[in-house]
Amino acid sequence: MATKPIEKDTHAFVTGNEVVAWAALAADAQIMYGYPITPQNEIMHYWTRLAPKYDRKFLQTEDELSAGFTTCGGVLTGTRSFTATAGPGTILMQEPITMAEMMRIPIVVVVQQRGGPSTATVIYSQQEARMCCYGGNGEGFRVVYSSSSHQDLYDFTIKAFNTAWKYRFPTIVLGDGYQAKMREAVTMYDPASRGISMVETEQFLGAPGLPGTDREPHFHKNTYNTEEELLEVVNKLKEDYDAVRAEIEEHECEYIDDAEIVIVGHGVVSRAVKEAVKLLRKEGYKAGYFRPITLRPFPGTALRKAVEGKKDIVVVESALGQLKQFMTEELYGCTVPITGYFKPGKGVSSAEIVEKVKSMTK
Amino acid sequence: MSGLKKIMLAGEGGQGVQSVAAILSEAAYAAGKEVMYIPNFGVEQRGGVSIAFMQISDEVIGSPKFDDADIIVALSDRAIERVQMYVNPNTVYVYDANISDAAKAKLPAESDVAKLQEIAAHHIANTELHVRVFNVIIMGAVLGLTNIVSVDDVKKALDHKFQAKFEANPSLRDMNYTALEKGISLVG
Repeated sequence: MATKPIEKDTHAFVTGNEVVAWAALAADAQIMYGYPITPQNEIMHYWTRLAPKYDRKFLQTEDELSAGFTTCGGVLTGTRSFTATAGPGTILMQEPITMAEMMRIPIVVVVQQRGGPSTATVIYSQQEARMCCYGGNGEGFRVVYSSSSHQDLYDFTIKAFNTAWKYRFPTIVLGDGYQAKMREAVTMYDPASRGISMVETEQFLGAPGLPGTDREPHFHKNTYNTEEELLEVVNKLKEDYDAVRAEIEEHECEYIDDAEIVIVGHGVVSRAVKEAVKLLRKEGYKAGYFRPITLRPFPGTALRKAVEGKKDIVVVESALGQLKQFMTEELYGCTVPITGYFKPGKGVSSAEIVEKVKSMTK
Repeated sequence: MSGLKKIMLAGEGGQGVQSVAAILSEAAYAAGKEVMYIPNFGVEQRGGVSIAFMQISDEVIGSPKFDDADIIVALSDRAIERVQMYVNPNTVYVYDANISDAAKAKLPAESDVAKLQEIAAHHIANTELHVRVFNVIIMGAVLGLTNIVSVDDVKKALDHKFQAKFEANPSLRDMNYTALEKGISLVG
């Protein structure tokens, strides 16, 4: 029996991809299915290096469609499974993710966003937010955690497995090329040391016992004959999703109470936003910071509360208004003007956010 | 932010700027600093411009990229162009002498930066030491320009990184140390 990959707290200075591999190990993931694409490659590289030492498995597939479907297959056998991808790979991953939504298969997908559309850059963007939340033919019955740091990548990867297996919705950890490739400090830990126990997995297909006699039959299907049948199924999915969304939603905010202007960003951009808010506060500007941690389900109630009665909202993102679109939907009827600061495929610094806000208040 | 240093190293793929950044950031992390290092390159398998963004501070670091660099080291013609938008009046700008006159024409004016310095790292590596320690000379130059980490910490990081090679051939260690000292003296 292999020992636990992380026994006691370990401080490390590593890349985000390495952090994800370690977190998946610590979360007791048994197998990764994957197909290479920059900037997520090193998740596979580290996993394949580490997996044999802890009796874990890896399967390289012929593309991302296959990686997604084999991940579904692994889960159906009751195995805690995950995959990772980026950019055009995330597009191909949509079909298996929608199957996971329809059949309630708790897969975990780590996405390290690169520039788009198409091949674009291997560097960075936040342009896969919409696709991760709502890609595929369906209604977006999935959970998306947007990470901003190596600590998030570690924490959220572990959490993603539990969210997926507890609620039975496919769960995505949304990182980006910066977080994938950059090096910064992280504390890795055994989840048990933080009071986190991994949700028990369950064998969905080929479970022991005679269905209907020894146990409830498992009935997983993604094909329906009638409109009425499908309507009922999708409505039930929505009902299940809505029943747990408040438990899953997460956000973070600071300096909101007396703020006149609320600056919103998710993922790695939220770091620049938070820093900008601190700099603006030092200069006497009444700025506040809001960060949705889950992009799906979106913490709309919290956002509405944070911006109510404020003068301005500024949305900052490395995409052309994808986060703003989520917010606009949640804030329907709210009269606080929303201004976008968009840099599709490009990083955002705190200095330029400060400048933007100053230019607005002149 | 207290003691924050924003450093940008840019060169051709293969010149070793990412190794320099990786070793310096490891050394700074080991010395207890807050460190952020992010590599940046294109889709080319080889030969593109390679840029390393490093931030070293006593406090937690915000966004991984920055707009204005405190220190810029540019090592090729194309690198000179790529770093242009990061230059500001406080920038200490170092470039290798082995660039074309056309590229030199694109350098900032001395009056537009805190310091503009040419170093002959390429020449020294090729004539006095070895082509492979070119980037260690650059590492020395970065070290000479800032007190982000001590020379001893960097030597420790080098020892750690090249342990097997140094043990097999101790003269390599001496050459790396000499290159490091040389780099420091170039900007002194």
